[in-house]
Amino acid sequence: MIVVRTVLARLAPLLACLGLLGIWQIGALILNTESFPTALEALRAIPSILGDKEALINIAASLRRMAVGFALALAVSIPLGLMMGRSRAVASFFNPLLMIIYPVPKAALMPIIMLWLGVGDIAKTLVIFLGVSLPVIYHSFQGAKAVEEKMLWSGAAMGLSAPQRMIRIVLPAALPEILTGCRTGLVLALITMITSEMIARQSGAGNILFNALDMGQYDTVFAMIIIVGAMGIGLDAAFENLRGRLVKWSEPRFDLPLSFS
Amino acid sequence: MKLLPLRLDIPTESASRRGPAMAMIEIDRVSQIFQTSGRQQHLALSEISLTVADGAFVSILGPSGCGKSTLLYIVGGFVSPTQGVATMKGKPITGPGPDRGPVFQEFALFPWKSVLGNVMYGPRQQGVKPAEAEAQSRALIEMVGLKGFEDFYPKELSGGMKQRVALARTLAYHPAVLLMDEPFGALDAHTRTRLQNDLLNIWERDRKTVLFVTHSVEEAVFLSDKVVVMTRSPGRIKEVVDIDLPRPRRRAELLLDSRYQKYVVDIEGIIDDTSEDELRP
Amino acid sequence: MNARALTSDVLLGIIPIALLIGVWQAIDSLGYAPLSLLPPPGLVFTRLAQQLLTGEFEQEIGITLLRLFAGFSIAVILGVGIGLAAAAHPAVNAVVRPIVRVLAPLPKVALYPALLLLLGFGHASKITLVAADALFPILLSTYYGASMVEQKLIWSAMAAGTPRRQVLFKVVLPAAVPSILTGCRIGLVISCIVVFLAEMITSSDGLGHLLVTAARTFQAVDMFVPLITISLLGLILNGMLQAVRSYLLRGFPEV
Repeated sequence: MIVVRTVLARLAPLLACLGLLGIWQIGALILNTESFPTALEALRAIPSILGDKEALINIAASLRRMAVGFALALAVSIPLGLMMGRSRAVASFFNPLLMIIYPVPKAALMPIIMLWLGVGDIAKTLVIFLGVSLPVIYHSFQGAKAVEEKMLWSGAAMGLSAPQRMIRIVLPAALPEILTGCRTGLVLALITMITSEMIARQSGAGNILFNALDMGQYDTVFAMIIIVGAMGIGLDAAFENLRGRLVKWSEPRFDLPLSFS
Repeated sequence: MKLLPLRLDIPTESASRRGPAMAMIEIDRVSQIFQTSGRQQHLALSEISLTVADGAFVSILGPSGCGKSTLLYIVGGFVSPTQGVATMKGKPITGPGPDRGPVFQEFALFPWKSVLGNVMYGPRQQGVKPAEAEAQSRALIEMVGLKGFEDFYPKELSGGMKQRVALARTLAYHPAVLLMDEPFGALDAHTRTRLQNDLLNIWERDRKTVLFVTHSVEEAVFLSDKVVVMTRSPGRIKEVVDIDLPRPRRRAELLLDSRYQKYVVDIEGIIDDTSEDELRP
Repeated sequence: MNARALTSDVLLGIIPIALLIGVWQAIDSLGYAPLSLLPPPGLVFTRLAQQLLTGEFEQEIGITLLRLFAGFSIAVILGVGIGLAAAAHPAVNAVVRPIVRVLAPLPKVALYPALLLLLGFGHASKITLVAADALFPILLSTYYGASMVEQKLIWSAMAAGTPRRQVLFKVVLPAAVPSILTGCRIGLVISCIVVFLAEMITSSDGLGHLLVTAARTFQAVDMFVPLITISLLGLILNGMLQAVRSYLLRGFPEV
């Protein structure tokens, strides 16, 4: 009985996927409109997308922009967040500015940025950079703030200077929280990338989606959705794996979770 | 968890082996004022003056909120006194340093490092070569009774074990003074008595100066040469009691020793008096 | 925080914003950017004030707000409901858990074309997208808040005679409110962002649509106005939620 339980638990996400696809299939069959293909039809359209060289180049370019924007964002946001977490002055300085920027959808800046910087990679990378920065800053800030004072004192007693304490104590201690922020950032990077491509319509996955929509290729639309969805889930799972290995020393804490894991 | 056997050639008087006792720590009319939320100021410590001799084991005893931890943090250099000055060997204390090693109630271990990593931290920071630091650290870990746990992470340890690691970590960088802030407060009674014994055994080896903060009268009398009794806020020194009991101290013997019992009763009396003083307008 | 610390905090916080506006103005005055691409701050804010007084603009704001609230409310009702149910019944938990694990990392905006196909280009598709995006943080925080409720609280209520069925609403729900509100805050910001984006991608009205229209006609000033408006809306709504939070949590210890 226990064995069956654990097997079921492991397979649960897979079962959920199949379940959702099943609901889709049934729903589509019931609705029977042209614009809502069944799950099977969508799945069948996937190989043709992945086989299309141009589409693949597009998607690869999207991912590349995402990676660059993500990396840059981390390089800037983590130090900033850490400093904000340990210095009241730095926090007060940046907080209001960040609070104003937060509700602005970064992808919405696309048209303006496009106006200034043209339609190249820089515009899209910049938007992704901005989108990822905010959650990473926030989580780095929270993580740094929560570092036990006594740990820092212990370090000071051992002779660590203030910058040394920041790098050798605050950073590792805040790492679990920082990585949670990175995870959110990763999801946001993907979303921002897709959305900015839907708005800017030059290239990339979002563009493929809307092109297909415009041309009435509904199978392709839904196939693309599945692909993007798979990318999201795949990236998230990979990141969780990485996170688990980097901070295996940490107590499982309750931070606002992104998923049940 | 077995400790290494004690050396038996240690004198039993409480006087230091280092010749005439010299002042290790001098606290001169230290006062501490804190800003609380709202516009109030809180006088935590008021005109504390205290001398701690080299090699003495001194307990600072008092109810919660009497500022005893604050006093310890001032000696540690983590907090600056609003007034007055604390000196060590004649030099004013301006910040933390490896000559005054803290052991905190919350353990404050680095969770991303193993037990060995934590203990090696101080020596490595002081420039000791890795191989030597590791050897020293392993010896210390064995001394505190945690042999075999070197590669464990703090999250895998019990409270008592964490505190042993914390002690080993601080001892590793050879501070002249040990600052212990209610180190056994977060542990259950049984673990606490074991660690008290182990602490004394370890201390007997080289008789460092110890400032030990506690709110337990029995603990203070059991461990120390001197007990400094403080009043509730604003914290003042009510009385300093010399504990003239032989060392090494064995719990079983002491609990039945009438001198020990008298010390406990007397000091509890002092504390009760101070509480009544505060209740009266 | 005493008054002195508060004022210095506020002052510090204003500096970067003031600096930003200053740099903005400087770029224009010194001619580093053509006024058609980067209109000076004075012009933008004047235009914003102007627009706020016109009925048309207010109507657009209203449309955006309508979609925002509708989507957010659906997310709250569904999120809290499912979250509580999952925390209370292991059977529900077993079903919901894997589904959420699969759907949560999926960029819901990718579903937007599907929603457009199914629900048309009007309000429904946007409201659904907002609800879908805001749902998960609220659901998860409700689930965690409810499952972390101290067992002793529940036992106290049961000892006092509360029947099992009522414990969920009388003890678990109120105890989970801090967590739920945190999730709602995140959900609210997400709602602001998503409604704006959805209107930008395809719409015939709303703030997002205004931005895209202005972009197509190269009216830079009119592009800034909706952006600043949504930012201000976000701040105001956040403030309102904080006020509700303070009221609802007035008995709780400082979190």
